[in-house]
Amino acid sequence: MRQVGKRFPGTIAVDSVDFEVYAGEVHALVGENGAGKSTLMKMLAGSFNDYTGQIFINDKEVALHSPSIAKKFGIGMIYQELSLAKPISIAENILAGHLPHKGPFVDKAAMRSAATRLMAMVGLDLDPGLPIEDISQHEAQLVEIAKVLGTNPCILVMDEPTSALSREEVERLFTIIEGLKKRGMAIVYISHHLPEIFRVADRVTVMRDGKKVGTKDIAEASREEIVQMMVGKSVKEFYKRRERTIGDVRLRVRNLSRWGFFHGVSFEAKQGEILGICGLSGAGRSELARVLVGLDPMDSGEIELDGEILQGRGMAFFLAKGLAYLTEDRKSEGLALRLSVEDNTLSAVIPSLAKGIFFDKKKGAPTVEQLLKELSVYPPDPNRTVGNLSGGNQQKVLLAKWLAGKPKVLILDEPTRGVDIGAKMIIHEAVERLAEGGNTVVLISSDLPELVGLSDRVMIMRKGRFIKEMGYEQCTEEAVLLAANGEETA
Amino acid sequence: MRSKHSTLTWVDKNRIFLLFAVVSIFMSLFAPRFFNVFNLTAIMKTVAMNACVAIGFTIVMICGQLDLSIGTVITFAGVLGLVLKGPLGYAVSVPVAIAAGAAVGLFNGLLVAKAKINSFIVTLGTMTILQGAIYTMTKGNTVSLSTPDAFVVADFLAKPLLPLVTPRILITVALVLVAEVFLRRTRSGRNFFLVGGNRNTAWLAGIKTDAYIIVAFVLSGALAAVGGVFFAMESSAATLKLGDQSLMYVLSATIIGGTAMSGGKGGVFRTVVAILTLEMLYTGIILFGFGNEVKIFIAGLILATVVLYEAYAVYKHEREVGKRPELVKELEAAAAAKTAGSPRR
Amino acid sequence: MEKAVAKAAAVDGRSVGSNRLGGIVNQVGIYGVALLFILLGAALQGAGIINNFLSAQNFFNIIDAVALLGIVAVGMAFVTYSGHYADMSVPTTMALTGIVAVELLSFGFVQALLAALAVGLAIGLINAVVVGKFKANPIIWTLAMNYVTMGIIRFVWVNKQIYPDMKTDDKLTVALFDNIFRYRFFNVVGLPVVVMLVMMVLAHILMTRTAYGAQLKLTGSARKAARFSGINVDKVVGIAFLLAAFTATVGGLTVTSLSRVGAWYNGAGYDFRAVTAVVIGGMTLAGGRGSIIGVMGGAFVIGLMNNIMTLLGIGTFSQDMIRGAIFIVVVGINAKSLRSLGRDDA
Repeated sequence: MRQVGKRFPGTIAVDSVDFEVYAGEVHALVGENGAGKSTLMKMLAGSFNDYTGQIFINDKEVALHSPSIAKKFGIGMIYQELSLAKPISIAENILAGHLPHKGPFVDKAAMRSAATRLMAMVGLDLDPGLPIEDISQHEAQLVEIAKVLGTNPCILVMDEPTSALSREEVERLFTIIEGLKKRGMAIVYISHHLPEIFRVADRVTVMRDGKKVGTKDIAEASREEIVQMMVGKSVKEFYKRRERTIGDVRLRVRNLSRWGFFHGVSFEAKQGEILGICGLSGAGRSELARVLVGLDPMDSGEIELDGEILQGRGMAFFLAKGLAYLTEDRKSEGLALRLSVEDNTLSAVIPSLAKGIFFDKKKGAPTVEQLLKELSVYPPDPNRTVGNLSGGNQQKVLLAKWLAGKPKVLILDEPTRGVDIGAKMIIHEAVERLAEGGNTVVLISSDLPELVGLSDRVMIMRKGRFIKEMGYEQCTEEAVLLAANGEETA
Repeated sequence: MRSKHSTLTWVDKNRIFLLFAVVSIFMSLFAPRFFNVFNLTAIMKTVAMNACVAIGFTIVMICGQLDLSIGTVITFAGVLGLVLKGPLGYAVSVPVAIAAGAAVGLFNGLLVAKAKINSFIVTLGTMTILQGAIYTMTKGNTVSLSTPDAFVVADFLAKPLLPLVTPRILITVALVLVAEVFLRRTRSGRNFFLVGGNRNTAWLAGIKTDAYIIVAFVLSGALAAVGGVFFAMESSAATLKLGDQSLMYVLSATIIGGTAMSGGKGGVFRTVVAILTLEMLYTGIILFGFGNEVKIFIAGLILATVVLYEAYAVYKHEREVGKRPELVKELEAAAAAKTAGSPRR
Repeated sequence: MEKAVAKAAAVDGRSVGSNRLGGIVNQVGIYGVALLFILLGAALQGAGIINNFLSAQNFFNIIDAVALLGIVAVGMAFVTYSGHYADMSVPTTMALTGIVAVELLSFGFVQALLAALAVGLAIGLINAVVVGKFKANPIIWTLAMNYVTMGIIRFVWVNKQIYPDMKTDDKLTVALFDNIFRYRFFNVVGLPVVVMLVMMVLAHILMTRTAYGAQLKLTGSARKAARFSGINVDKVVGIAFLLAAFTATVGGLTVTSLSRVGAWYNGAGYDFRAVTAVVIGGMTLAGGRGSIIGVMGGAFVIGLMNNIMTLLGIGTFSQDMIRGAIFIVVVGINAKSLRSLGRDDA
């Protein structure tokens, strides 16, 4: 096999990483959230014009300072966030930038047939004239893949390509990948779904905290080994369980449904308990959380808190009752980046601090100060603009915001995504303290060591339904992951 | 499942043509004196002048931007064209006026694309600057020409070669045709849509998005100037209010015609059909005996309705986003099982 | 998208803004700019180029001229602060409420004012629902509303100018209406100025010391995050538009009374002028930043600027040109200094 390699150390988010990929191989890149996988590949895609280190393609050094240069060298990136233009037709999206033409005029027939051909490669059978906004999310994801294939890349990078795909579509994708391999394409497959990796990859590189931990051949690796490399210390060591008394049932959810997002979910959560919810993205976890706090309306079912069936609507009502939700995406959903730490921390408790219509920020100052200290936010300056803090500190502010309201039930959604180890530990300690205080925590996380280490029980969600519950003893990362993927453990 | 939506979507997509049919039939049948040469000529005249402006405005909107300055560019170009005609003759003053409009467009485009200032702000500011400039040039008076050859060009443009077809209309039709073909069938034309649909996608595909936006504004300015010159030459007088109503008119027509403010869709032909429809509607209103005020009111009401409709459509769409198809199918199956005693299909 | 990521890697600590002029404006504040203008005026007077700038009479002239602008700008500021750019229906709201008040003077002075208020709030309510709940584009919608309202005015009153004494024989009512806004406290400070100051104080309190103000700030700065914090953003935005309509009503009554005639052109141009005052005063179009005090300063600076230009003999329309240019420049500077934080839609 001819060597189509890239070897490169990197920038700050990625620290001196060496990485190679051969023609005709699928090289998986795994790691926890924030490990640096996406950043590493973005360097390859030409997103940064200031990386350190070198990149070689076919043994020739190249300077990938812009996406167009990267494209010229045959690098194709399939992003997680779609880069399609919604009102524009499928065909024009797929062939953007290189529409087939006869003289100055676009050759519509050629465009349609080329688009159809590329779509067939990913198993799509749609009218290429349809605009993207008229097709579904996972069809759009396949169109994205077709689009990149249309640029005839020799190195293909796929970042979590299966997040919105169904079982059959994933299988089809794997078939496509096999075909591409035979044609000599070098493929980098970023994912944190181990079963997929083991199915499709030839080699795997594990990254952690911006550094490369190691590269192994799949044939020689075992899952435990990979997980070990991803996490570092052994799981049990990292999460020292503290003793907690678990009280009565606080939250009871019966047959909760939101049509099209999740159906028939029922569970109980007790005081002092940390209940984990696991599932692949798209399983409906966040949607469930949003309904539990009233952000989205429920279509059927009941939510009972401390014996009272909640009959209100709107998030303000649920917040007042003591349910809170720390959202997944701190930058766009959680924090107002242009405002101060103080403004953000108090943003969810304005109604409760207000006297009549008046609201005095100063009344909240002691709470802010105390929370900043408790969570070791650095720098502990309530007037600092949140956008200027590091990721870990931003997340702490987000947590402070929800702790400020002293919630009875706090739902956390990916609370340590993109957060450094130090902040991670502080956040975990705070979560434990909250539970120790008799409150209930619901933890949604795809960071398996975190999920398994913190939770007392884990519920598995898949495709909008709860399928299984696992107690503490059964909970190993593997078991949880497999269940989430729909397979059983031995 | 898709077929259920497709009739509604087809109606929505082609709404302007349906509206056109409805209005023209209604007016022909019911409005007094509608279907005569005189009336139709007047309609075509106004349409021709506004259509030019609308071409550029539509292109800007396809790019996802807004050009509020077209009204004042029309007036400015009209005034300039007339003021300079005296000393320099139309042969010079008209191109100069058009160039001036293009220059304004260039200014707008640079600020929007390079300085990255919101197009609303930039064009609002340009509009104000031009208003001042117009007043300064004319000192508040209407510019008019009374030389014997003042009307020569206007007469030429207005002389029908065939019934209803004047040179002015031919020019307009030509411009519309060229614009429509360009947008629909050339690569550069399609690129405008991509820039408006998702600027990032376009940039990633290697398209020079800044250049496209600047060109869009230049075209808007130049074509608004053409419209202004048409307006002015028509009566050989340029009042200060020349272009005032055009902004609303063209904005309504563009949106009604199906070009969305979010960019990435629409078309020049549809806009022009919308202008035609609106003009027929307005004329019909006058012919029915209602005054100018009713016309203004109806014009505003139509625009308001269309904006509301578009916003509501987005609002409903947002609620559907993210649903899992399998679950939706389950629901539909369950509902079908409940309502149907016997299996259907 | 990648650009933002690359930039994020480079941003740390405090960022003052990539251009120093913007930084200076932010630091010094709008009152510093006002001071500059005053100094400029003084300098010009000292050089003999203009007369009468530094006189009490002139000072009060400026304040008077600014009062109306200030009143309208206060409400507009709420709309801008909410991140929805501007309310372009203000001019016709002003005209309509004024003309309605005059028309209904026969029912009594107070009743007429209340009727005008009802009309203004109705317009505000419509805007509130369409932009707040249905999220229509605020500029296009309010422009459309402006047009519709103009149509209503033209339909009902055509081009007529309505004089108070045409509508009622009650001399007292007429006199009241014609003169109320001409009343001067201590013979010096006109009622419009007092109204402006009162409104600004109330607005400032509303923005900085109430729950609504805090929620408005969050909504304007990060609408999605605000919503996910339990804030009813639709309502918050809607109230902002109601406030804008309210101040437009007060402004409409003021201008109609001062000019003693109800007409369709009362209020023309106040959309642009109010937005300019708001933006120059430091409130960015992106929302969530700025203050009423700044807006007051902005109105004041515009007043100073107009005054100096008039004293210099610059024609009204040339002034328009300069105002338009300054508007673009100020927004541009604002936009540049904000972009370092990644928010580039000012």
